[in-house]
Amino acid sequence: MALLEVNNLVTKFKTDAGDVQAVRGVSFKLEPKEALGIVGESGSGKSQMMYSIIGLLADNGVVESGDVMFDGEDISIKNFKNKREYNDFMRKIRGNSMAMIFQDPMTFLNPVLKVETQLIEPMLNHGNMSKEEAKKRAIELMKLVGIPSPEKRIKQYPFEFSGGMRQRIIIAIALANNPKLIIADEPTTALDVTIQAQVLELIEDLKDKSDSAIIMITHDLGVVAKLCDRIAIMYGGKIVEIGTDRDIFHDPKHPYTEGLLQCISNPENDDEQDLTPIAGSPPDLLNPPKGCPFVDRCTKAMKVCKDYEPPVSTIKEGHQCACWLLDERAVKK
Amino acid sequence: MSENKVILSVRNLKTYFDVTKGIFSPRQIVKAVDDVSFDIMENETFGLVGESGCGKTTLGRTIVKLYEPESGSIIFEGKDIAKMKGKELTAFRKDMQMIFQDPYASLNPRMTVGEIIKEPMIIHNIYDNDKDREDRVVELLKIVGLKPDHIRRYPAEFSGGQRQRVGIARALAVNPKFIVCDEPISALDVSIQAQVVNLLKDIQKEMGLSYLFVAHDLSMVKHISDRIGVMYLGQMVELGPANDVYHRPLHPYTTALLSAIPIPDPDVAKKKQRIVLEGEVPSPINPPKGCPFCTRCPKATERCHKERPVPIEVGTRKVACHLYEK
Repeated sequence: MALLEVNNLVTKFKTDAGDVQAVRGVSFKLEPKEALGIVGESGSGKSQMMYSIIGLLADNGVVESGDVMFDGEDISIKNFKNKREYNDFMRKIRGNSMAMIFQDPMTFLNPVLKVETQLIEPMLNHGNMSKEEAKKRAIELMKLVGIPSPEKRIKQYPFEFSGGMRQRIIIAIALANNPKLIIADEPTTALDVTIQAQVLELIEDLKDKSDSAIIMITHDLGVVAKLCDRIAIMYGGKIVEIGTDRDIFHDPKHPYTEGLLQCISNPENDDEQDLTPIAGSPPDLLNPPKGCPFVDRCTKAMKVCKDYEPPVSTIKEGHQCACWLLDERAVKK
Repeated sequence: MSENKVILSVRNLKTYFDVTKGIFSPRQIVKAVDDVSFDIMENETFGLVGESGCGKTTLGRTIVKLYEPESGSIIFEGKDIAKMKGKELTAFRKDMQMIFQDPYASLNPRMTVGEIIKEPMIIHNIYDNDKDREDRVVELLKIVGLKPDHIRRYPAEFSGGQRQRVGIARALAVNPKFIVCDEPISALDVSIQAQVVNLLKDIQKEMGLSYLFVAHDLSMVKHISDRIGVMYLGQMVELGPANDVYHRPLHPYTTALLSAIPIPDPDVAKKKQRIVLEGEVPSPINPPKGCPFCTRCPKATERCHKERPVPIEVGTRKVACHLYEK
């Protein structure tokens, strides 16, 4: 059974200028222990999709429709009487069987509380642990994420830690209750390259050691290539392609995925090949295009792409792509 | 590129900041740039890489004299700009322009795109009437890939990539010979980054510009640069042709930095053995006594902790490391 199953999720934001259609019908499945990467540019809806799933949308955000099944339970908002009931329910899940790692290690931690207090909080709130047990486990967690002399450092405040160390603490907090799913939203974006390497190494190591599944939201293809088993590419509020890491990197089917791979430079290659940028900019989700979201920037766009949404084609088991070029009715060259 | 003339020559440049808190505290000095020397040729792109706090941005800003250097010289076309002041400095700025990191903060939101691009022309008295200036703005907008009718619009109406194009047009307005690009692409999305990098390359070819390209994204720097300088804690630890530095890094820090880049290919990335550096960059207020990298270097010897290495030439490169001294 899939650990997380999302079906046709639609999220809108009410703004003065109209409804921003941030997530426009997203479906995917995540197996236990799997690492899924969600890649997209800013405004592609990748973060808002996850926030819709874990119930952390901003006040003006509304989940219009969609089903979310987590660990055999239906956690879609429409199943609850009101928002309050939903929030109470989600609060029990978050930080327990579902944990989050956020982008900015500088603002996530509470600056006036000791690291220890912040580490044991999820254990006391969710678990049946006594304070003493929780403190013991907190030190174990600090060791696990590679913080030297944890007995001493656990009594310190966040400002006494560097960016990389803070991100380790946040990871330790996420791991506190042995979650089934960890959602990491750009966990290394705010860090320097050598510190990023340390944190990625840690996440990779924990992936092998723990039983948690990971969803990694990022814009960095290098990061997902290293960590993820499967990758979903998001564009204009939709998943345009999903497949294994090799499917996406070696056999991309969607013109956007292809374009994205062509406009990053791989330092392993030496040829003075020019980067091929994708012309234009992403669609405005206040007025999203009727057909394929990528139509205005696609070099292979056809007439049908403009007016009709592309159907999802299955290339092989687990590799799916929403593009008219793959439809059986398309002209094959 | 070898027969090219040197356009900019930096010698023993030092930029210090006084960060002493209050008059009774001991004096505290951040040595942001500490004794850096290098040359940039005509038509060349010189990439400057390093982690945050290594002084790469300070170095870039000192070269255009946004910061006053503590000592050392910056020879641009035979003149030392480190000592320039007043009118002379203003005149020099016509030849050297800067493109900034944040396209949201570096454009005045109350000025139209036309006014923004026109401003440097007015300051440097490039045309004597507004009509000519306007024509030039239209020309520049076309060069950077924007439309002539964008001239009356405000920055808020543009996306990040488009704003960066406006920033580039403004830098080009005075026909400079040299542009300092301070992380011009790091605030942009991947698909837009490539657009801006290609634009910078095209402009360079067309106008014969030299660039100092400051960035922390190592793969992009390798792509755009002819030569690369690697900085650590205010010092240039390695300098050489881009491909050489990438494939045969000499300094232990360069080696570690390169192995930390995530490679966008699952087959390579999952097998790759990283050299993961222990610890973090030391504070520039109290840098290590010897080599700046000795606290994290896997190959450090006793000598590294005591004596600061001097850059020496190894083949095509300059390396500041005791390992390569004979």
